[in-house]
Amino acid sequence: MPLTSQPIDTSIYTTITAAIRSEASRLFTAGEVVAIIGYAAARRVGSAQPIIITNAADAEKLIFTHACVNNLAVYLTKAKKEIPKTGKIGVVVKGCDLKALVGLMGESQLKREDLYLIGIPCNGVLGSTVQPATALTTESIASKCCDCNSHLPTGCDFVPNVALPPGLQMESRYSVEIARLEALTPAERWAYWKEQFAKCIKCYACRQVCPFCFCEQCLCDRNKPQMVDTTPRPAGNTAWHIVRAMHLAGRCAGCAECERVCPMDIPLNLLNRKMAKELKELYDYEAGFEVNDKGPLTMFTEKDDQSFIK
Amino acid sequence: MQKYISEQNLNTLIDTLIAAGTRVVAPRMSAGIPLYEPLENSAEMIIDQLPRRSAKEAFFPVCEEIMSYEKEGQQVKINDVDPSRFPETVLVGVRPCDAAAIPVLDAVFSWDYKDEFFLERRRKTTIIGLACTAADDACFCTAVGLSPAETRGSDLFLTPLNGGGYACQSYSEKGEALITTNSNLFSELNNAAPLPLAAPQADKIDLKKVKSWLDGHFEDPLWDGIAVRCVGCGACAFVCPACHCFDIVDEGTEKAGKRRKSWDACGFWKFTHHASGHNPRDLQPKRYRNRIMHKFKYYDDKFGQTLCTGCGRCVRICPVGIDIAAIVEEISNKEIS
Repeated sequence: MPLTSQPIDTSIYTTITAAIRSEASRLFTAGEVVAIIGYAAARRVGSAQPIIITNAADAEKLIFTHACVNNLAVYLTKAKKEIPKTGKIGVVVKGCDLKALVGLMGESQLKREDLYLIGIPCNGVLGSTVQPATALTTESIASKCCDCNSHLPTGCDFVPNVALPPGLQMESRYSVEIARLEALTPAERWAYWKEQFAKCIKCYACRQVCPFCFCEQCLCDRNKPQMVDTTPRPAGNTAWHIVRAMHLAGRCAGCAECERVCPMDIPLNLLNRKMAKELKELYDYEAGFEVNDKGPLTMFTEKDDQSFIK
Repeated sequence: MQKYISEQNLNTLIDTLIAAGTRVVAPRMSAGIPLYEPLENSAEMIIDQLPRRSAKEAFFPVCEEIMSYEKEGQQVKINDVDPSRFPETVLVGVRPCDAAAIPVLDAVFSWDYKDEFFLERRRKTTIIGLACTAADDACFCTAVGLSPAETRGSDLFLTPLNGGGYACQSYSEKGEALITTNSNLFSELNNAAPLPLAAPQADKIDLKKVKSWLDGHFEDPLWDGIAVRCVGCGACAFVCPACHCFDIVDEGTEKAGKRRKSWDACGFWKFTHHASGHNPRDLQPKRYRNRIMHKFKYYDDKFGQTLCTGCGRCVRICPVGIDIAAIVEEISNKEIS
């Protein structure tokens, strides 16, 4: 992180808000969508929350600001039974959110033709521990935005026509932290994660916001057999977080929702990024850029690394 | 009894209590976040941040063992946990919104079943509340009839003074006893003015009116409107000073194991999942409705109290920005037919 915090230009978000509203209104009037999932302002100063609108009159409620942190892809999964999946649904997506949709399409959870993608040219959103009224700076920005490689989502149906201001060079907080942890001894690293997992209270916010946690019944909610202890104690906490990290390897594209929502500030995306780094090194694979029906961990090729067989 | 205690003497009081074997629980940094936890010494205490979780865990821990078992052949040995071994505790620097929730919890934990774990810890704990000097726009204690100077639930209450130190008022025999036993650390109150207290922006909400509306609107379009976005985690319930649902599970093997009690939340799909497979709260809005109903209607029906002290924690941490203060305010503005 730079020593002095620098402001980040978010002036394009006003233009984007206007563009989303007029496009949403047009879509309903033309009968092209049955619902649009986007963001609306909430009570706290500067805050935003997900909203699902179903008519043109509500298009005025839509906004985009640097407090629009959620990955709305979660509402499109079968886990969210509350959202009817009949008819074409419009969804507001940042580049990072789009990667999750791409993954869900690859896993046959979504069909491209059922969606109308409203892409957002994005210069960053706020980190989870700052107040929503905070201005966007190189300090208040979410860690995932520091090394963003998808400011401009591609392949959307509509993207507001704005020029992204030149991005500021920011150090990748995850790379720094992964390097720090990799330099530790296994015992030291284990001590670090034990301390982090000890904070877990099993609220499952990380699971509930994850677009890839769409299992109809999570392994951790089953009790015949009881695979994972349910109580918030070291054994069950550790098992849960390892299950989660392994299950997301090769699928998670780094929207970092798990980490954002953790009320105990467990650096969950750090585990995801480490797994992604391993996948990149082992299989030259990066999740979220193209629709693949087989990820590296669900198929075998002769080129796969086999050095572990001794 | 109104007294004065300096910051230094408050630290001395804490260190004296710890040295005497008393468990002193106060806000401290724990792996990067502020939590109410047992202190090793007074230097660990931080008072400028609202702990991420409430003070309820001093009485109702996130997870606790309530029994263990061992089986050898056909012999089963049950070992009960003995609550009389719980330590004498002083809880220091408790925010008014956290302290006020404790008497609210007394009602349910001493109702038809007397929860010996909660009640024994309660009996052995003295609560030192602290007036609140900073609020953000998630805070809404004032909306639910409390305030940054609310003394409910505190045995002793500290008000920070201009120029340092605290005015200290006792509100119970426990509080009185703490002053008497450590009288050398307290002095007469001087004329120093109290520091300006926090000023939460939230206007007072007519909770009676909220309840009247809830009485007649179990079915209402409002629930879908506000809760379709709810993702069904337990974060709001777990950081809440007043939510008190828990689960009991046996963990271990056939040979030996422990029975544990741990926090549960009505937002979870599993919370009302019947053994038959049926779930009466099958969709998230029905679960969120229960959260509001329990806090502002059912608990009032049963105990004449509201199950919310306006700490704002759920508002701050909700992954999808659900704001209970905005919702209750919206309900209070509804026409009652």
